[in-house]
Amino acid sequence: MSEPQSIKVVDACDLDDELRFLLKPGGMVLDAQKRRHRLPRYFYEIPSHEAAMSIRLTQHFGLNEFTLVDLKEEQRLQEFPRYIPCAVRVLAFYLEQFRKDAGGSVHIAVNGGYRSPSHKLSEYATPHMWATAADIYRIGNTILKGKETIEKYNAIAEDSSDDLHVLPYGHVTGLNADDHVHLDLGYITVIPREISEDRMEVPQENKPRFAFEDRRRVERRSQPVPEEGE
Amino acid sequence: MALKARKAHEKLPVSPANDSVAASEISLYRNVLKIKEEHDLEELGISFWDAQTTIQWSYNADHYFHAASTMKLAVLIGVFREIDRGTLALDSPVHVRNRFTSIVNQETFMLDLANDADPDVYGHLGKTLPVGELAYWMITKSSNLATNLLVDVVTIESIQQALDELEIDGVRVLRGVEDQAAFEAGLNNEVTANGLQKMLRVIADRKAFSPEASEEMLKIMLDQQYRSGIPAGLPKAARVAHKTGNISTVHHDAGIVFLEGREPYVLVILTQFRAETGRGSAVAEVSRDIYNTLAGLTYE
Repeated sequence: MSEPQSIKVVDACDLDDELRFLLKPGGMVLDAQKRRHRLPRYFYEIPSHEAAMSIRLTQHFGLNEFTLVDLKEEQRLQEFPRYIPCAVRVLAFYLEQFRKDAGGSVHIAVNGGYRSPSHKLSEYATPHMWATAADIYRIGNTILKGKETIEKYNAIAEDSSDDLHVLPYGHVTGLNADDHVHLDLGYITVIPREISEDRMEVPQENKPRFAFEDRRRVERRSQPVPEEGE
Repeated sequence: MALKARKAHEKLPVSPANDSVAASEISLYRNVLKIKEEHDLEELGISFWDAQTTIQWSYNADHYFHAASTMKLAVLIGVFREIDRGTLALDSPVHVRNRFTSIVNQETFMLDLANDADPDVYGHLGKTLPVGELAYWMITKSSNLATNLLVDVVTIESIQQALDELEIDGVRVLRGVEDQAAFEAGLNNEVTANGLQKMLRVIADRKAFSPEASEEMLKIMLDQQYRSGIPAGLPKAARVAHKTGNISTVHHDAGIVFLEGREPYVLVILTQFRAETGRGSAVAEVSRDIYNTLAGLTYE
């Protein structure tokens, strides 16, 4: 049995100035309809490329699949350690269900997973900035292009859960999709249970807040739960 | 400047017929007109510059032609300007995506990948390729997909700025490839033979932003896969750093010719013909004539 995978959770307000500027934790952003949304504050810290490749969020989705970006993402955010909002695991959970219903492997496009607020495609708030959206360019061997194919998989996604939102086929960027299937869960923020949200409680300069989240439920179940204070 | 017939005849492809540059020029001019007539060309533009003898020669060299894929040289220049400025790196990853925005109406369009010569790029749809690799396929296999991706990365404005900085006129880059709405609005990339010659000369002189950038561009251009233009009129040993351009009514080639034991020469040959005529071998024939004429001269 392999070692249990743990991943560090950080309050991005504790990160250095440049990272805080780029990730804008807790910042308010406008979507294309001028509605305000508060950006996520709690992130998984991915220490290395190897970790990104090896950490699995679900049976079929690895963490790296949600972090693929190109030069549109800020250079600093492409360097390790990298950061991704904790809500990514919720997205992975729904994608796993979608994968089962679609009947094939689901491939997320570059720039189609998490995009920071500093990404060049982040003109307006989109769930990509919460890590709760995925642009899928291929399912099994099918490249997703053309009305018929995209509408077919959009229908499968909508049938898979009422929580999943899709973009209809069309050519207007942001409103439609014509070379991928866009799925999102809206603006979900995950606050890990190990974290206290009171920023006054622990000054960031003196005591950074973080936690390690155990990613192996099966192993967690099999281990005795320590008593409080043990 | 004085020119005379070459003394060492044994290496020449033809015997020098005349020791006068003027006579050679007249002869070349006649040959070019003959080729134009024989191939039923609507337009022919030629620009030549030799680093060894400093001879320049041109024919109809300020006439604007549809650029076809020779515009990719300007994109290459634009890419290396950004690399030289440090805003881009050869290994910067670019998302390979077949979706572009028209410069005319901001509508999206896709390339017909069946027409693209390069599966090396569209085989990576959904993934990334580094800038350097895209530049390589854009030039060596004339990949339209790579071209449009790089145009998106560096922008048309920046490409034009690069040309302006290098004082290259005669090259107008307005858009990427297969922007049908722009084509219908009459917005096309255009080049003159002199414009492309200036661009290649800057690269040949290692003055395109930096010697390193120029060297890198030359290396890519030397790997050109399509050799039915200028190289077809040269001895096999000649190395040519070049870019071709073909659509149904034009066939161009623009290159820097390296021959053993001498400085390179820059040659641009642009041809335009009716679609039903077809492209023929005019470019190769002009290339051969230029080579033969040059081989018949020595510089003193």
